[in-house]
Amino acid sequence: MTNSIGEMEDAEVFFVIGSNTTEQHPLIASRMIRAVREKNAKLIVADPRDTKIAKLATIHMSHSVGSDVALLNGLMHIIIKEGWEASEYIKTRTENFEKLKEVLERYTPERVSEITGIDKAVLRNAAEIYAKSKKSMILYAMGITQHVAGTDNVKSCANLAMLTGHVGSPSMGVNPLRGQSNVQGACDMGALPNVYSGYQPVTDQRIKGFFEEAWGVNDLSDKAGLTLTDMMDAGQRGDIKAMYIMGENPAMSDPDSKHARKVLRNLDFLVVQDIFLTETAKLANVVLPASSFAEKMGTYTNTERRVQLSRQAIPVLDGTMPDWQIICKVSSKAGYTMNYDSPVDILDEINRVTPSYRGITFDRLNNSWGLQWPCPDEKHDGTPFLHKDKFARGLGFFDAREYAPPPEVPDEEFPFQLITGRVGFQFHTGTMTRKVSILEREEPRAFLEMNPKDARRLKLINGSKVAIESRRGELYLPVKITNDIPEKVVFSTFHYSDQNINDLTINAVDPVAKIPEFSCAVSIRRV
Amino acid sequence: MKRIKKDNVYPFLKEMEETRDVYCPQWLNDKDLLFLPLGDGKFDGYIGKTTVSAKSLLFPQTEEIISFGKEIVKKNTDSRNTLAFGIRPCEMKAIEFTGRFMTREGITDPHYQSKREGMISIVVACNEPPSDTCFCLDAGGKPYLDDGFDIQLFDAGDYYIAVSGSKGGEEMLTFDKFEQADEEDSKRVEDIKKRSLESQVRKPGMKKAIETLKNGKASNEFWDKLASRCINCGGCVYVCPTCTCFNVYDLPSSDGYLRYRSWDACLHAGFTMETSGHNPRPTQGSRLARRHEHKLKFDIINYGESGCMGCGRCSDACPVGLGAIEIIEELNNL
Repeated sequence: MTNSIGEMEDAEVFFVIGSNTTEQHPLIASRMIRAVREKNAKLIVADPRDTKIAKLATIHMSHSVGSDVALLNGLMHIIIKEGWEASEYIKTRTENFEKLKEVLERYTPERVSEITGIDKAVLRNAAEIYAKSKKSMILYAMGITQHVAGTDNVKSCANLAMLTGHVGSPSMGVNPLRGQSNVQGACDMGALPNVYSGYQPVTDQRIKGFFEEAWGVNDLSDKAGLTLTDMMDAGQRGDIKAMYIMGENPAMSDPDSKHARKVLRNLDFLVVQDIFLTETAKLANVVLPASSFAEKMGTYTNTERRVQLSRQAIPVLDGTMPDWQIICKVSSKAGYTMNYDSPVDILDEINRVTPSYRGITFDRLNNSWGLQWPCPDEKHDGTPFLHKDKFARGLGFFDAREYAPPPEVPDEEFPFQLITGRVGFQFHTGTMTRKVSILEREEPRAFLEMNPKDARRLKLINGSKVAIESRRGELYLPVKITNDIPEKVVFSTFHYSDQNINDLTINAVDPVAKIPEFSCAVSIRRV
Repeated sequence: MKRIKKDNVYPFLKEMEETRDVYCPQWLNDKDLLFLPLGDGKFDGYIGKTTVSAKSLLFPQTEEIISFGKEIVKKNTDSRNTLAFGIRPCEMKAIEFTGRFMTREGITDPHYQSKREGMISIVVACNEPPSDTCFCLDAGGKPYLDDGFDIQLFDAGDYYIAVSGSKGGEEMLTFDKFEQADEEDSKRVEDIKKRSLESQVRKPGMKKAIETLKNGKASNEFWDKLASRCINCGGCVYVCPTCTCFNVYDLPSSDGYLRYRSWDACLHAGFTMETSGHNPRPTQGSRLARRHEHKLKFDIINYGESGCMGCGRCSDACPVGLGAIEIIEELNNL
């Protein structure tokens, strides 16, 4: 998030796109609800489904799946036509505006309405509310990023915020809501193929030298590695022979997961480190049992970049070990000795090698509710919002993007668009939540959400079993008939190993971020 | 009538600890005030209003109720003697209310009853409302009690004036930390009571809301609209002094199994879900209605008084503004 969660209380407009906030970030949603209810803030939601947050919205745009770039460009087109853009901000803080204008010219309300299915008057209304208010925040989640056009979607969100001057001040910004408790921290620590901690590029010779010195080695690679989806492809080609997977369950969470499981099975050697025997761990040659969050000390970095200390609550369970100790032991056996006495030692090293974390020391975390990066030294109070006065790169760059249809759209053979997501009571592949009886009681099985009109055409009643088929696989699910989903679109979840919807989803990826699309075309028949 | 200097409260509780487990409001951190065993949190003499009500002393969040192996079944009841210091009048009234069904003749809950029988309660009357969500007067209660306590304390500045309400309370007042009250003290108590009645300003209008429910004026649409912002966290239920729904489950132990019960919430869909998959309370709106109708309609039919004591904890806890105060106000807007 460029903003802090607390700033939501003073926002005048929330533009939520591709986020089922009430179910996936309920406490952030509750702040929005309170701002709407008590302070008359306006809420604009763009989501094909009529989610709970959409029901509370001032304007809900149920745009067609994968039409986000067209929608965002359409809003910007209207803003420029009406002269609602922030001219002074554009002039002093951004560049490449002319190119943006040129691209947007083609996104007339007529054309955008046709692509997105949203009425022209609604588009205009949303554009006006977002642009004309002083404090507008954009919030998005995987509904924006998990597309072949994921990078384009994110850039278009940034364009919209810069066009209206809505970034760089409190309660004004672009706010991706991270979907896992420490995914922000994992990225910050360089658990990515192309950067060290704090997003320092591996290709930069100066940075390479710095880390070689810090770690006492002299041959660090200066080439970016492979992303998760690249690795699966390389595994299939036989270019990758072994994998070491920690705390991830790609046998279920990867798109086209049948294919992913085949790749994992064909590896010469697979190591899985996790707190439970996951579907992926079952395929492994070696399983390393790790300790859970409650058995160890460490830090979490949350969605607002806040690093917080988490303390050990219970003793380490027999036969398990905290991840950091396992990694140290494996590394030491492999020839590079890692000597850390505790997570505090590791945080010390993070402080030394990561400019944005330099001031986030153990002593400061131990006595506070955490610190938000960037925090360049121990006197610094942390950074509640980003891009104040100027952007991290200097001038904000308008990178205009063109709309392209999703990789797989419904046709005669596969007439429905399938979208996937989570429900509030289960988390991801259910490794943890499916072991909690009260959560399992709420959402015990997968279902397929379908519009009543489609259900009538297929002669289905609530709970009828259907066969759902894509180009990659087939699955049987009961239908849940609801007006919350538009016609010709169906929704299901990926929590359930016995009914794994990702056997159907598509492994088409964004060319830049390599994030998969998941959403695909399916056929449905009564069984 | 006795009195105890505020400086003597902690020494008194320490003394009591020799024969009883002592619980009182203590700071868990700088935000949460909870009933904790003496010494488990920070005690600074502040009574306030605890985040979770004193029900947790008799009906804990999670408790072992039965242990069983191949042959033995053992019922776990609690034989400890406890002292609960700093209970507010609304909570004590809630305990009395809850007792009507938890210790009903013939179908007594032994785990609850054993704890209740072992507990001495020291109530601290509210000179003024401990928080701006307090509305006990509006809910038919008072910021002090007429009966139903072991000891009741009235805050008179440097000291508390102590009144006993039971034999156990009477005995406890003989401890040397309690001094003889002076002649003025009974007049002071009357003054405190009078002022406490005047100081409470929050009046959402429960009586009118009860009538609205009784007359069937709250439609499904009304509840659905409110429930659209409920995030189903169950927080209102967990902090409520009169909510006592629970779930039962077994977990393996070293020599057999343990049966636990934990707080549950009627706002969760699975709470009323039947094995067939049918749910008599199928929507969040219907579940929200169930909870509030239970307190403001059916408790009145069954017991002649509302199940909401007006403590306002649910309004404090709810992240989306759906506590009893807000529900009553919405009902009154109908």
